[in-house]
Amino acid sequence: MIRFKFYKRNELKYLSHLDIVGIITRALNRAGLNLAYSQGYNPRPRIIFSNPTPLGVESLAEYGDAYIEDDIREEDFKNRVNMKLRKEIQVVEARKAAGKIDSLMSQIDLVLYGFTLDTGSSGKTRKEELYREIVSSIKESDFSGSIFDIRGAVSEGASNIIFLKLFGYAKILKEKNNTIFKFNNFYNFLKALSGEEGIGLSDIKKEELFVIRGDSLKTPVEII
Amino acid sequence: MGEIKRLDFKLLEELLEGVEKPGRYINKEIGTKSKDPLLQESIKGMVFMALVFPDIYEVGMSNLGLQILYDIVNRNKDFSVERVFSPWVDFEEKLRASRVKIFSLENRIFLDCFDLIGFSVQHEMLYTNVLNILDLGGMDIHSGQRGDDLPLVAAGGSAVVNPQPLSKFMDFFVIGDGEEVIIDILKKVKAYKKNKKSKSWVLKELSRLDGVYVPRFYKFYYYRDGLIESIEPGEKVKKALVRKLDKFDVVTDPIIPNIKVVHNRFIVEIMRGCWRSCRFCQAGVIYRPVRKREVGPLIEQSVSGIKNTGYDEISFLSLSASDYGEIERLVEGVTGALRPGKISISMPSLRLNSFKLKFLQLIQSGRKTGLTFAPEAGTQKMRDIINKNINENEMLDCIRMAFSRGWEKVKLYFMIGLPFENDRDIRGIVELIEKIINIARSEIPSRKLGRLKINVSINAFCPKPFTPFQWVGIESPESLKRKFNYILSNSPKRFVKISWSDPERSQIECALSKGSELVCDVVEDAWKNGARFDNWSDFFDFGIWKGAFKNSGVDINLFTTREFPVDEILPWDVIDIRVKKSSLLKEYEKSKKYIQQNDKV
Repeated sequence: MIRFKFYKRNELKYLSHLDIVGIITRALNRAGLNLAYSQGYNPRPRIIFSNPTPLGVESLAEYGDAYIEDDIREEDFKNRVNMKLRKEIQVVEARKAAGKIDSLMSQIDLVLYGFTLDTGSSGKTRKEELYREIVSSIKESDFSGSIFDIRGAVSEGASNIIFLKLFGYAKILKEKNNTIFKFNNFYNFLKALSGEEGIGLSDIKKEELFVIRGDSLKTPVEII
Repeated sequence: MGEIKRLDFKLLEELLEGVEKPGRYINKEIGTKSKDPLLQESIKGMVFMALVFPDIYEVGMSNLGLQILYDIVNRNKDFSVERVFSPWVDFEEKLRASRVKIFSLENRIFLDCFDLIGFSVQHEMLYTNVLNILDLGGMDIHSGQRGDDLPLVAAGGSAVVNPQPLSKFMDFFVIGDGEEVIIDILKKVKAYKKNKKSKSWVLKELSRLDGVYVPRFYKFYYYRDGLIESIEPGEKVKKALVRKLDKFDVVTDPIIPNIKVVHNRFIVEIMRGCWRSCRFCQAGVIYRPVRKREVGPLIEQSVSGIKNTGYDEISFLSLSASDYGEIERLVEGVTGALRPGKISISMPSLRLNSFKLKFLQLIQSGRKTGLTFAPEAGTQKMRDIINKNINENEMLDCIRMAFSRGWEKVKLYFMIGLPFENDRDIRGIVELIEKIINIARSEIPSRKLGRLKINVSINAFCPKPFTPFQWVGIESPESLKRKFNYILSNSPKRFVKISWSDPERSQIECALSKGSELVCDVVEDAWKNGARFDNWSDFFDFGIWKGAFKNSGVDINLFTTREFPVDEILPWDVIDIRVKKSSLLKEYEKSKKYIQQNDKV
């Protein structure tokens, strides 16, 4: 099994999860990699993907687990597959796993989203004030139970930009008493919130997926 | 024709907000080949063409003809073609509200900036979409109102073999096989552009080509009742014909859609034309003569297509796959060259019998999809009249064998309203369904019988130009409804699902197929009153069309229920389809004679 990480950007962010599944599967076929097939009535190639990214959102962190019959070097996998994909979708990392691995979906604990907020003002105090307001509104909202952490950075100098990083829960963790982060609902909430403040919302990205290991966060590739 | 203007990506992003399936309107598929005008040293000597498929992306991208023409044009360094599809209603609304013109997928060039716009029209019920796209491109829909500064507009495809109902809107039509004539056309357009000639100059030039019909060079004279008295000049336009399919290789690197389309598979045409001569079938006449691809290169190119595209399914396209002599060799050759069991093969037109069933089992690698049969009619008499050579016993034997081997799903196609049909023939359809259920009861173990599914599709017969039944009138909606209701109320309820086409829609399809240029005004009126996607049952509105005939002062029955006398001048008589009218007539006479000899209607 090879676990690989890829991005989908620009125009291709408009494709659904199922479309991406088809695109990657065909690319692996075109690359001449012999995918293993599932058993049963209607055999399907064995590739498992991480949680769907909402339509219209760019993602730098899509993951897939491909079961391939032949032995292949990680770099070769990456290069051969990338030759068969457009530049808007490319594999950035691949790692082989030995033995049995839990499914991607069940491993992922957190999803990191990034938002760029255009405040319309380059005053540092104003930007910091807006940032605090937004964070506290989010923390007081119904979404607080589905958010692991929020971090932000206020740009320096003449820029109007605030960067917001949000770690949402991808599954229920017993010890956290949390709920699952629902992107689309949150996005509508944030859009309304920033609209009230006259803030523009852009460059929304899924940035990374994480597994909680003790006190640290690991990426899905790091844990195999 | 002037400056090439394109839509900015940021603006597209705004338009796509909230739109259903935005993947329809972006580009970036694997296999696109258009040339970016910005990256060309000089575009003066080049011709930019828009290939327009007037249906949604998912339907258009499943059409092999589109992929073939796209490939041929883009291989030429002087020509570039980009795709345009009908926007779905939500996106049309956005375009109109934001006053943004429709644009091509590849380089997002606005439609009116191309040199040539070519519509591929595969169905009459898409005529209103054609007008809609011209309008969304910011152009006058009428050919005569578009000046020399605007693109040339043409239409081809099986739904314009009778060009008259679109003749006011098109500068020219292309009748027949497109592979060769499209390059000849583009060469003339290149000269027109380069030498800054007038549209009438280039149309005159184009009209010399086989397959090109320019409406403005023909004049129709009418009797007072709307029938044609004469056409001038008398010379016909000969269908364009590619004599050898092998002259053009299979497109082994087609565009691979990013989103799910109707047919997600690699499609290969194995044969064009059909020997069967079913008298209702238009494709069987307009694609004559039968031409097949050589099996050797076909295997090689099919395998290379599968490898290039990464599809796990291949479809062998033809009007009658069973008549491709080396079909077994083809299948063995293709499956043998690929990983065993990982590729499935579909053959849309396989005529099944017991022998072919074993074959089917083999190619579906164990999967048992539904079996499809097209007896078309319920009695042998009726099948003889329409010349559908399907033997009922042979078909039932095959179904018996299928049930005993584990198949549980059968689909049957029938037509009603066929010429010389009577109630006994309609009863025959019900009886055939009953026979199949009885076979199922004896072959399928009772614990599995609950899974039996018999899907019956019933279509109203719609007479088409260039068929032996082109003179026949379509049956009235009332009579069709009575016949359908008889089938519905007398067929077994258990196991059977019956679907059928709207008989009112069939009337409009008939009028658009057999119409003269008088029907242009009807199409325009229907479009202005909101008709779109008339091939989609959710959208078809008979009221709009009825109103359109009334508003245009055209009696719909002139082109629907009326039987055309065999000596009448037909609107499509300007086209020489390379099958003599006299041989069509002879076939029609044969069906009449059959009735006189075998049956009293």
